[in-house]
Amino acid sequence: MTSLLFAQLGTPHRIQTPSVAWSGLLPVLVLLGGAVVLMVVGALLPRRSRHSWHLWLTLLIAAGSIGCAVPLWFRVRDHGPLSILRDAVRVDGLALFLGIVIVVGVMLAALLTDGYLRREELEGPEPYVLLMLSATGGLLMASANDLIVMFLGLEILSLAVYVLAGLHVRRLRSGEAAMKYFVLGGFSSAFFLYGIALAYGATGSTNLTDIQRFLATNTLTNNGLLLASFALLLVGFGFKVAAAPFHSWAPDVYEGSPSPVVSFMASAVKAAAFAGLIRVFVYAFALDRHDWQPIVYVVAVLTLLVGSVLAVVQTNVKRMLAYSSINHAGFVLVGVQAASDRGVRSALFYLATYTFMVAGSFGVVTIVGRRGDNRHQLDDYKGLARTEPLLAFAFLVFLLAQAGVPFTSGLWAKFYVIGAAVEARSFWLALVAMLSTVISAFLYLRIVLAMYGGADEADEAAPAVPRLRIPFAARIALVVSVVATIGFGLVPGPLTHASKTAVPKIAAGK
Amino acid sequence: MGQYLPVVAMLVLAVVFAILSFAASKLLAPRRPSAAKSSPYECGIVPSQEPPERFPVRFYLVAMIFIVFDIEIIFMYPYAVIYRDLGAFGLVEVLTFAIAVFASFVYLIANGALDWGPAKRLGRRDPQMSATRTTTSTVRRVGLEGRPAGDEEVAA
Repeated sequence: MTSLLFAQLGTPHRIQTPSVAWSGLLPVLVLLGGAVVLMVVGALLPRRSRHSWHLWLTLLIAAGSIGCAVPLWFRVRDHGPLSILRDAVRVDGLALFLGIVIVVGVMLAALLTDGYLRREELEGPEPYVLLMLSATGGLLMASANDLIVMFLGLEILSLAVYVLAGLHVRRLRSGEAAMKYFVLGGFSSAFFLYGIALAYGATGSTNLTDIQRFLATNTLTNNGLLLASFALLLVGFGFKVAAAPFHSWAPDVYEGSPSPVVSFMASAVKAAAFAGLIRVFVYAFALDRHDWQPIVYVVAVLTLLVGSVLAVVQTNVKRMLAYSSINHAGFVLVGVQAASDRGVRSALFYLATYTFMVAGSFGVVTIVGRRGDNRHQLDDYKGLARTEPLLAFAFLVFLLAQAGVPFTSGLWAKFYVIGAAVEARSFWLALVAMLSTVISAFLYLRIVLAMYGGADEADEAAPAVPRLRIPFAARIALVVSVVATIGFGLVPGPLTHASKTAVPKIAAGK
Repeated sequence: MGQYLPVVAMLVLAVVFAILSFAASKLLAPRRPSAAKSSPYECGIVPSQEPPERFPVRFYLVAMIFIVFDIEIIFMYPYAVIYRDLGAFGLVEVLTFAIAVFASFVYLIANGALDWGPAKRLGRRDPQMSATRTTTSTVRRVGLEGRPAGDEEVAA
């Protein structure tokens, strides 16, 4: 007996460890390692410093992550997608395109965060660390080829954002927003997990490639389990992208959370969740598209209408923008619903351009909110064009782009999405999308009118408010966003070309 | 289905036991109620003061540091059992994990998670007796920023 034991100890039988293509994971690893380094170094050095080195280090790490993604992009374009970790992670054009969008969202949010933290006396490395960790989850989600990895990414993404929502520790609303987001987010994660379990039950695998292969080679005699898993997975994704009827958290959380964090929530979190949605539904469940398309159709119609109609009755600008971001999620859903190459391409284009628009919008909101992050009523924007003409002009550009006015990227984004819907013969959906554009244009014009119109004589008697302070970093974010919004509006070619390259082939119909 | 029979039997037994206990207590127990006995959480002794609610929040930090190392050990233990079989790959993985855990520990220590006791010595005079100390000067009112003026009662 003892000799047997020793014999076993003497010759350990090797466990097959997976060979990992680390180069494919570099964008994620750089961001993750950078976040840990910033956390440790930031904790050892004094929290407050005249130089905003937290910000610059964050930008450097994010730029490094993009720098690792660009060579991968060309490699994937020429040699096909990389399958890493036994096909649990797949680095393809879609993952890299949305990955870069997410990291750009981090950079813009970080630029806005610096001035915000100084103004509110909340300095510290934690917000930047959390932004980067959250983006790590987003990147993982965008490149996940296994439902378990996708859930892991979703949780890494969400947990950091829950904390970020409660960043302003002295503001009760911020804590309330964090609590609401956490409770409802945990609930939606449970739905998502149940959806994974049912998908496993129906197909016998959590790997998306295996699921697709199983559904292509087998015909389910009873697909109730699969349909239930569609519904539950859609609830999980729908919550993260704030699609109606899972949108009710968005206005409250957007209103209470620190404004720079909201820009991250509306850009990067949405991009990551849509990456997951496209990967699971458009690709893995491609052959069952006739089962899930009607559900997404209804959700898209609801999201478009709820987002635009309820935005009109708001008087708080942050809530207005929250509803408008729900409306934009509806537009991306229109692209997803088409379930075609063109639909996915238009969704990617929309997410990329929307990142700049929404980061810029919430950048302006951050600055106008003043100390306490509390001046978000429409009245607070009255006469902004007179006191801060450049800031008002930037906001004008972002609002017009969101309304889809020509010479801005918003027009092309909406045009491609509706084109994809028409191509997929979803005429009514396209009509609803155009109708909701008209309704939400009213809301954007309301803010514009407040900025450019409200200089009455009555205001002259009002107590003089001190001039707005626009931090240098926020200036950079605003200028970059304006340039990107107008630039992609005038020359959409490079971005459309990139989104065309990014889209993998969808499995053909049965 | 036969393999689940013990579970069902256990379930039935649990329910029967609960019902029997309640019934027996109703039927057999003598009933002599008094004010002390029918108070919430009664144990026969009348509470003379409100139970203490405040305790140092640092205990939470200690608990969190404990969890950090607890999680690390949870992963170390199975690794120790099969570290030969895993080879260099396992070693690198565990080292990466240990460095990440250590980084979080450094973060906790650097933020003063283990600095026990008051940071500064109090002044010579007994601060409890100072006339300047009132609830408005010592109790920091949290969460009033960013709220309309009418809500103050709720926040206080």
